[in-house]
Amino acid sequence: MRRRGSPRLGAYAALAAIGFVGALALRRPELAIVAAPFAIVLAGGTALARDPEVEVELSLATDRTVEDAEVEAELVVRAARPVDRLELLLELPRGVDVVDGVDARAIRLHPGEERVIALELRPTRWGLYDVGAVEVRARDPLRLVVWKSRFARTRTLKAYPRVEWLSRTVTPVETQANSGSEVARVKGDGIEYADLRDYVPGDRVRAINWRASARRGDLVVNERHPERNTDVVLFLDSFTDVRADGRSTLDDAVRATATLASRYLERRDRVGLIAFGGILRWLRPGMGHWQRVMLIETLLETGVEPTYTWREVSGIPARILPPKALVFAITPLVDSRFVSAVEDLRGRGFDLVVLEVDPVGLVEPGTSEIARLAYRLWILERETLRARLEGLGVGVARWGEDVSLEAALQGVRTYRRNARLERV
Amino acid sequence: MGAGGLAALPLVRAESDVVFEAGLRMAAVALLALVAALVLEWPPLVPASLVLLGALYGAQLAVDDASLDSGSALFAAGALVTAELAHWSLEERERVKADPGEQLRRLAFVSLLGLGALVVAGMLLAVVDEVGTGGLVVDLLGAAAAAAALLAIVLAARSRDEA
Repeated sequence: MRRRGSPRLGAYAALAAIGFVGALALRRPELAIVAAPFAIVLAGGTALARDPEVEVELSLATDRTVEDAEVEAELVVRAARPVDRLELLLELPRGVDVVDGVDARAIRLHPGEERVIALELRPTRWGLYDVGAVEVRARDPLRLVVWKSRFARTRTLKAYPRVEWLSRTVTPVETQANSGSEVARVKGDGIEYADLRDYVPGDRVRAINWRASARRGDLVVNERHPERNTDVVLFLDSFTDVRADGRSTLDDAVRATATLASRYLERRDRVGLIAFGGILRWLRPGMGHWQRVMLIETLLETGVEPTYTWREVSGIPARILPPKALVFAITPLVDSRFVSAVEDLRGRGFDLVVLEVDPVGLVEPGTSEIARLAYRLWILERETLRARLEGLGVGVARWGEDVSLEAALQGVRTYRRNARLERV
Repeated sequence: MGAGGLAALPLVRAESDVVFEAGLRMAAVALLALVAALVLEWPPLVPASLVLLGALYGAQLAVDDASLDSGSALFAAGALVTAELAHWSLEERERVKADPGEQLRRLAFVSLLGLGALVVAGMLLAVVDEVGTGGLVVDLLGAAAAAAALLAIVLAARSRDEA
């Protein structure tokens, strides 16, 4: 620990020296008597001050949590020598708070004593956080000497994004070959009734619809839709982040991505991820709980990395974008590179849905007439862009402060039910 | 309040009007310096304030040519307690949650320190009163003590530089 004198040390030394010199100059012993207690405190304090040899460690009850959930932590403090006042300041990264708001504590330790301070931490935003850095300041009983040190044995706390409420997802147009929860449009073995057709040799007897056969006077069999799974690729825009008043479009986009991933994986669909921005991150479509964990941990690393280079869909490996996959673009529709990529994907025939994380509420219109005009033009441009995408057969769900994710996706479901999806 | 008491001691006993008027101004400046130290959270103003009060006390003794002042023990204890309380007040400005009862314990410690200062200063006063004479030996002892205190200042400054 680094040792340094407190303001008292200099002050008492100065007072003692000036007192003694004054006593000599004025030939008044009273001034020396006044200075003597300062000199005695100074001499005693500095002679008795010893490095307390403090050890501090922060331990977490878990290293995985959900944003806004509380995580129990323990600050274990040990000292080889007595410390009259040990000040501990938790250096928490931005986005992690102490629940009771007290991140600085002062305790008193006896020689060899170990104290455990219980804390509750709360990540206010999803992300990866290194917690455990503690700044320590120890003082001797006379408060003349201060020992300072910083303990930086950090542990990574993973705060998963909060999952929004969503009762139904958007149904993809085409299904894959594996079993799942989605009723396929094709006919085959399944539960959902599809049609009747004439019996042909080789049909199973249990498929014969006896009532219909009796009416027609010939054997007819039931046809059914099989239950298949689908491939869903979550296409996240990480080019831009619009932030204001503690809200961020990227934060919301990541929450929506985590929500959609969870819902589709619950349906036994294969879900992949492409974070399309300054850094291109992807995760191959997969199923199950482990895929959810990997997907969310990939999401946690997502941030806006500034880039001026043009990015194209052709840069994405083909295995990440399987044919017949539903591509779910989650974007504030601000960066033209991402909009071009969306149009490009639609041009390649992908079934596409855009979840627009609405940034309009985060942008102030401005006070001047020109600024207000620019704001109105921007709103109009956004509406034009939405209309253009819908013209291409892309359903656009606008998700903002006034619209829940459920309501936003309901609009897209209605659009997709009524719109004919064509290859363009 | 401690500084006010320290200022009052020489002012009450001042025999000449000149000393009283000059002392009043010095006391006002000293109190202002102490208030400024606490308000501006600038610790160097604490010893400056006490030096002014000490100078006022010394000047009153020198000008009035008083005999050995028995109140100096009280002044010494008061000065130490004032300095302790001022520094403590500055330390408490930091947003730190302390153990329950910590403030009472510290207050008791400062009181004990003040009491100790009173006893030590009283004993020194008794010794000085008993010896009763100055001379070269006493001057040399005083000079050595002043040099030791100056050395402590230098060491304190060096330890701060190293940090």
